[in-house]
Amino acid sequence: MPQNLISATATAVFIVGPLLAILINNLLPRTLAQKICLKVGIAATLLQIAAVCSCVWLFFANSSYHISFSVFWNMSAQPGAARFYVDFLSLTVMLAIGLVSLVSLLTANESIKDKALNFSNLLMICMIGMNGLVMVNDLFSLYIFLEITGIAAFVLIALLREERGLEGAFKYLAMSAIASVFLLASLALIFMETGDLHFANVAALLSSPAQASQPLLLMIASLFFITAFSIKAAMVPFHGWLPDAYQSAPAAVSVLLGGIVTKAAGVYAIIRVLSGAFSGVLAGVFSHVQNVHVVFAILGLVSILYGAIAAIGQRDMKRMLAYSSISQMGYIVLGAATGSVIGLVGAALHFFNHATFKGTLFVNAAALEKQTGSTDLEVLPCGLQARMPLTAISSMLAFFSTAGIPPLAGFWSKFLIILAVWQSGSPLMAGLALLASIITAAYFLRIQRKVFFGQPDDSSNEITEVKGSLALAEWLLSIITVGCGLLFPALLLLMQSKGLF
Amino acid sequence: MLNILSQLIAGGNNHTNLIYIMLALPAILGLVVILLPVKGYGGRSVAFIGALVINALAALGLLLGENFSMRFPWVHLGDFSIQFSLRVYNFSAFILIAIAAIALLIGIYTVVFMRGKSHYGSFYCFFLLNLALANGAALANNLIVLLFFWAGLLVTLFAMIAIGNRNNVSAAVKALIISAVADLLLILGIAITVWQSGGKMMMDEIMPLPLTGLNNVGFVLMMLGALGKAGAIPFHSWIPDAAKDAPLPFMAMMPGALEKLLGIYLAVRVARDFYALEPGSGMSMFIMIIGVVTIILAVGMAMIQKDMKRLLSFHAISQVGYMVLGIGTALPVGIVGALFHMLNNAIYKSALFLSAGAVERSCGTTDLKQISGLRRVMPITAIGFTIAALSISGVPPFNGFFSKELIFDAALESGLVFYILALLGAFMTAASFLKLGHAAFFGPLKWPHIEESNNPNPRETPAAMYVPLLILAAFCLVFGLGNVIPLAGIQSILGDFMAGHDYSGWPHSMSLVLISLAVLIFAVLNHLFGKLRTGQAVKALDHIHYAPGLHQVYNVAEKGYLDPYEWLMFAIKAYAKLCFAIDRAIDWIYNVLLVKLISVLSKGLAHLNNGHSTRYMAWVFVGMLFVLLALILYL
Repeated sequence: MPQNLISATATAVFIVGPLLAILINNLLPRTLAQKICLKVGIAATLLQIAAVCSCVWLFFANSSYHISFSVFWNMSAQPGAARFYVDFLSLTVMLAIGLVSLVSLLTANESIKDKALNFSNLLMICMIGMNGLVMVNDLFSLYIFLEITGIAAFVLIALLREERGLEGAFKYLAMSAIASVFLLASLALIFMETGDLHFANVAALLSSPAQASQPLLLMIASLFFITAFSIKAAMVPFHGWLPDAYQSAPAAVSVLLGGIVTKAAGVYAIIRVLSGAFSGVLAGVFSHVQNVHVVFAILGLVSILYGAIAAIGQRDMKRMLAYSSISQMGYIVLGAATGSVIGLVGAALHFFNHATFKGTLFVNAAALEKQTGSTDLEVLPCGLQARMPLTAISSMLAFFSTAGIPPLAGFWSKFLIILAVWQSGSPLMAGLALLASIITAAYFLRIQRKVFFGQPDDSSNEITEVKGSLALAEWLLSIITVGCGLLFPALLLLMQSKGLF
Repeated sequence: MLNILSQLIAGGNNHTNLIYIMLALPAILGLVVILLPVKGYGGRSVAFIGALVINALAALGLLLGENFSMRFPWVHLGDFSIQFSLRVYNFSAFILIAIAAIALLIGIYTVVFMRGKSHYGSFYCFFLLNLALANGAALANNLIVLLFFWAGLLVTLFAMIAIGNRNNVSAAVKALIISAVADLLLILGIAITVWQSGGKMMMDEIMPLPLTGLNNVGFVLMMLGALGKAGAIPFHSWIPDAAKDAPLPFMAMMPGALEKLLGIYLAVRVARDFYALEPGSGMSMFIMIIGVVTIILAVGMAMIQKDMKRLLSFHAISQVGYMVLGIGTALPVGIVGALFHMLNNAIYKSALFLSAGAVERSCGTTDLKQISGLRRVMPITAIGFTIAALSISGVPPFNGFFSKELIFDAALESGLVFYILALLGAFMTAASFLKLGHAAFFGPLKWPHIEESNNPNPRETPAAMYVPLLILAAFCLVFGLGNVIPLAGIQSILGDFMAGHDYSGWPHSMSLVLISLAVLIFAVLNHLFGKLRTGQAVKALDHIHYAPGLHQVYNVAEKGYLDPYEWLMFAIKAYAKLCFAIDRAIDWIYNVLLVKLISVLSKGLAHLNNGHSTRYMAWVFVGMLFVLLALILYL
């Protein structure tokens, strides 16, 4: 049965794969484990990418585009049981998880030496958390995996035990704790009202809020829920922790955080609850609650503008990328908040694109940090394009993709999002979102001009291009950015021909 | 050739082929001339002269043949269509033969004049193209077709001036801009005319429109377009500038003759065929004012010139004034006078420019302070010049006398002030030619001796240069004594309008003739006074030039402050500066204001993230408040 095949693959690879990697790393002799732990992790991520690809193939082969299954419990189990659900949205996110984890490991290979084992273990835990997060089908399991992801991320930020890392980790931890409290409270209230936490059941009950016995309770639940996930997704003004955490994290961890963790933990959940995603079978928790959509649309737009404007004034490249991430996550949330199919497709694509181009940029920041010792724009030498051509070109491609310049990948997703916002009857919002992408181009050109363009000065004579796994990561992500840009129209047409949206 | 001759002999048939020859042959040969091998001066010149001869024969054929018109569809856009239509009748044939004859004479002169000069090939080419376009403009029977040829003349005008001085084309640019403005007015005028006449574009179908309402605007615009081509004020100021740079045959050909012919032709068509200009009406007054202002200002400038070419160029402007004045009266005598003067002017003005070219060729300069007494070495040129000068000054029995008398007659009938100003113009014309002739050709022999250039003694020009001059001079006499020949043609053109009038022969009003002669005698006395006062013929008019009051006016005028083109250029520069300032301001908004604004905003936003977890938590609660508000508002 293909159904079983897919569920077996999904379970085995997405959850058991990273677990196995942890076991291998820790059961081997410590000296050997230190040497191969990153490679084991890489194997797990490659396995995940391969599994996603095979799942997609199986979906198309069977013309069945989603699958529900249980791992340890029966399908007809009681509420609260772990039930999984995989569709294209999940697969898109899991592909991004595998890709960014791979890149993060490649980066770690160059930057983290003595903590490699710890890093690998924590990354695998983080992967388990994120994979679980995107497969679960009820609010409580969502919460569990969110916590797993979060805890792994806190420790990763503080991995090097430097003061800044610890401070950033603490801020993330403190804010996440608040988020957890609100989320739990929200779950309790929803459970009180509906008696169930399964997405579909909750949605069915919430779709007619007038019939709710206590509408006020429901509103408070919504408020807490929005707050919790806004903190996790760093929507303005719940974003305070994010720039500090990104900036203080080690290079490899910045790649992971900026590329996937924040989005999987926060933005993915928002997309999932706001919509039924691609298949339409899984009703989003809030898919029929109009005011939640409006609130998320406003939060998204504010984040887009705030992130873009704040990014212009930053002098540290990683901090600028952090603000840029706030802005880009705003786009994803805005797209999801339209509730239309185009908006959702745009949001999902932007999710994946953001993983690639922001991953590229953090890898570039890591490369600059490794080769020049700094990510401060005032300190970095000029004209590095001559010294580091690969880094310069990959960063330019990523910038163009972020700013939404055709034909790169970022153009298509941003275009779909802005189109969806326009169609939803908010031309003003669409205009502002478009304006922000001009500002995006402005701040990225500032970096590009300051660091890469121009004549190299004497202070940069010693600087050379990165080699090994960092260069490999830059190549890989740049190819994906360009390739996706060229393939997206074909992909969208294919999906449309299959009746997916 | 045989075909043309047979056509000529056949006479009385429709000479459609002749039209094609007049349009196509000069244009094709013009291109052939420039494509011939580089060293083919002889071949090029033969082709050049051949084209002019055939053109003249074809024009003669059309003049002798019957009136006819031909048309074929040119542009089709749905219901809208433009007919490519040409019409041969006595007026257009008259213009064509005048153009062809002048072009042939100047062409012969050109062949010698341009020998040894670079770019003669280009000059031949543009000369012939110019001729083809002028033929087209005279033949056109559709306002759009007319405009096509009319605007085409801009190109050749620019090119022929630019050939004279390739390093500095400012004179050519000036001519182009001024003529283009005139053409623009013409386009607008044509648009209004077509609109007002109910969409009729065929020039022989438009009924004369009464001068009321919007028609006045159309009339003024078309008239300005036509007079702009003829070089009336305020479209005159490129001519003296071009005189400095452009080859002399060009000056003789375009401002001297051809542009007058075309401009006055169109002006008469506008005043007679498209609009009904009534004597004594406001528009008539307006045109007459343009006429007298042109006469007085241009001839006033001519008086003080010390360079032969420049002096002649101002006369090329001032003579237009008489024609405009004649048309403006809208009286039969005025219009006949204008057309006759147009023909006479083409003859004697070409002759004068040709003699200036002869002087330039012999002495290397036309500066009157450096040359004197040239009749001793260039007797034939001196005779030709003298006849033309007497003619332009209005001395009987040369042609200029008769046409001017007709215009004086019309001016007196329209208003005493116009007559007096026209007489004043005649006085100044005579005075300036007395000065010019006396200084250049009489008195002791003098020419610039320049050791280095090994300047030989000036000598008479080759026959090819003085024969055209003499032919033109002969016409001055023939059209004066035998004015019945051209006047019969002109009066037949005007048809019924002339019923009961015949202006050939000796002027009808003897008293006017006597007044004119008195003016001429006064001019001679004035010249003698000036000559005695300063001892030099070239300074014979200095007592007017440096008269109190006039002196200051002349200074201002010589500096170009009275040149409408300079005003236009000043306005354009001021406008450009304004645009630049606006552009800077917009740049400032983008480059400074916006950047400052965003960077201040950005710094401000960045400072909000001060690193304190407590503040971040405080924001969370502020955010929750807003979310709650939004949830309630949008519930």
